[in-house]
Amino acid sequence: MSRKSERLVNLTIALLATRRYLTKSEIFRSIEGYEGSDEAKERMFERDKDDLRSLGIEIEVGGFDPIFNDEAGYRIKPESYALDLGEISGADIALLSLAANAWNGQALNAIAHSALLKLKSIGIDSDIDAIPMLAPRMVSASNELVTVVEAITTRSAITFTYIGQDLENQKRTLNPYALASRDGFWYFAGMDLDKGAIRNFRLDRVEGEIVVGNKSDSFEIPAGFDLFSHLDEGISAKLATIDIRKGKAFALRKKALSVVEKGEWDQITIQYGDDSTFIDSLLWHLDDVVVIEPSELRESVVKILSSMVVNHG
Amino acid sequence: MAKAKPAPIIHTERLLALVPYISANQGIAIADLAKAFDVTTSQMSADLTTLWMCGLPGYTALELMDLSFESGFVTIRNAPTLKSPRTLSSEEIISLLLGLDLVRESLPNNEDIASKVQTLSQRLSEKVGMNATFRAADPVSSALRAQIEQSLHKQVNLEISYHSLYSDSFTEREITPLELRTEDGVEYLFAYCHSACAFRVFRLERIQSLKVSSNTQKVISREASSENAEFASHISINSRARLMKERFGLDNAPVNEKVQIQSFSRQWIIRSVFASSGSAVLLEPGDLALEIAKKAQLILDRYPAH
Repeated sequence: MSRKSERLVNLTIALLATRRYLTKSEIFRSIEGYEGSDEAKERMFERDKDDLRSLGIEIEVGGFDPIFNDEAGYRIKPESYALDLGEISGADIALLSLAANAWNGQALNAIAHSALLKLKSIGIDSDIDAIPMLAPRMVSASNELVTVVEAITTRSAITFTYIGQDLENQKRTLNPYALASRDGFWYFAGMDLDKGAIRNFRLDRVEGEIVVGNKSDSFEIPAGFDLFSHLDEGISAKLATIDIRKGKAFALRKKALSVVEKGEWDQITIQYGDDSTFIDSLLWHLDDVVVIEPSELRESVVKILSSMVVNHG
Repeated sequence: MAKAKPAPIIHTERLLALVPYISANQGIAIADLAKAFDVTTSQMSADLTTLWMCGLPGYTALELMDLSFESGFVTIRNAPTLKSPRTLSSEEIISLLLGLDLVRESLPNNEDIASKVQTLSQRLSEKVGMNATFRAADPVSSALRAQIEQSLHKQVNLEISYHSLYSDSFTEREITPLELRTEDGVEYLFAYCHSACAFRVFRLERIQSLKVSSNTQKVISREASSENAEFASHISINSRARLMKERFGLDNAPVNEKVQIQSFSRQWIIRSVFASSGSAVLLEPGDLALEIAKKAQLILDRYPAH
């Protein structure tokens, strides 16, 4: 293992240090570790190039000399290899370190850790005193988060089993566009290839592993795509007036657009989208909430309560 | 699953990362270096030996990296080519962007830092060079979590204002924090509650505010115990199975069958059944079902038109 990695490190150094393109024969002559027949060396070199590229190292091909019908040359541009964050302060490093540390023990831990090592290699000390005391934490129960990130960055389709409303298993194929968390849940969205439309999914409702397709760059992500605008579609479509008991129904109170005092009660207006989700949240508050308007909502609540009396009596 | 990189690739990646890290942290102990890179000390020594053989073609003493680590402390000279850390990968940038989102969110009143975060996010986004959006939100305030972590570290008591979901009320409590734990994506603080004289578990996102208590009392009553014992009830699910499975924390939610649920709190069961809007019916215990029926009638009475 160390022979191969030693050769890869030496190849990287040589291609980085050179000011002109190095030809294959120059590489085979000067870099240690290329052995065997010409064919074997060629194979080794091809694989090494692929390996370095898989590490995100860009190898430039060029240097053809049309007059001499020369062979191709290779180099790595230092500016594409090296980290350049522009002008950066100790406070910036501290903030970025905080951002990386948010993943501690969570899904992107390994990735964030390697980012952190790079930040610590810049040679600027983290100025932790310059920023407030914060402990951001990324909470994610699913390890499939990494897979979604990988698929989005390589623009590869994914297939997975999704648990539907009635707990049925749905096979989904998706070109993933975006990933976001909200209220403690992770969501991803993209073009559902079977439905031919944008769909969003909650990561914790994926059953088993997400499989990344072999073809990368297989789609383009539309500019300005916003996952939340798809999640929120219709969320502010309707307006309800409800009475809530003073000092109660804190969760609804937080979302109130207006509050009018009515003695023992407060009357609030609130926006909602999906009826059944909203009714669920109203009924959680038991007799601390009374629906005033709209009348359809009032009727639905009455209907549910009536059947609850019957079913539990 | 994300594809795993083969071992020699991971090794090469580490070797390339080591050079700038050592350059920026000259004189670092091998053991600390091993810890930073999350490998054993002997692996790190092997890595350093491999690096010692690397350099520019020619491979004379002049062309090789001047790496010394015999003393147990590592220094590097003559490594200008690899001295700069490698550019961040797309995945690394995304991990930082998401992390910065959380930092930004917790800084509504600090414009100076907020604008720094904004600048950093923008620079990183440009580097990824794609339209994909990545956004993160933390239901818990980062500042609040930092205060809890510090109080755990310093072993001081906290006064908290806590919103109890089951009783829908705020309580002020004095607690001795014992442990932070994450389960199924929810963060909990295990603590001894001096107000209740019992061990209590608090969900972080429901702690409204906290401050360090001037009280240094740490006596935890030996008789302290969770006063409510867990008990079983049974429900029947008739629709919206996925939602019911999530609401009641079930492993499976077969429709129209008797399903057992576990809880410490009657209050939670009652509210959960109501918030199921009829998709779940409580079958047992009978007295609890009757309480639900009565409560439903009580609420109905507030809708006089019917």
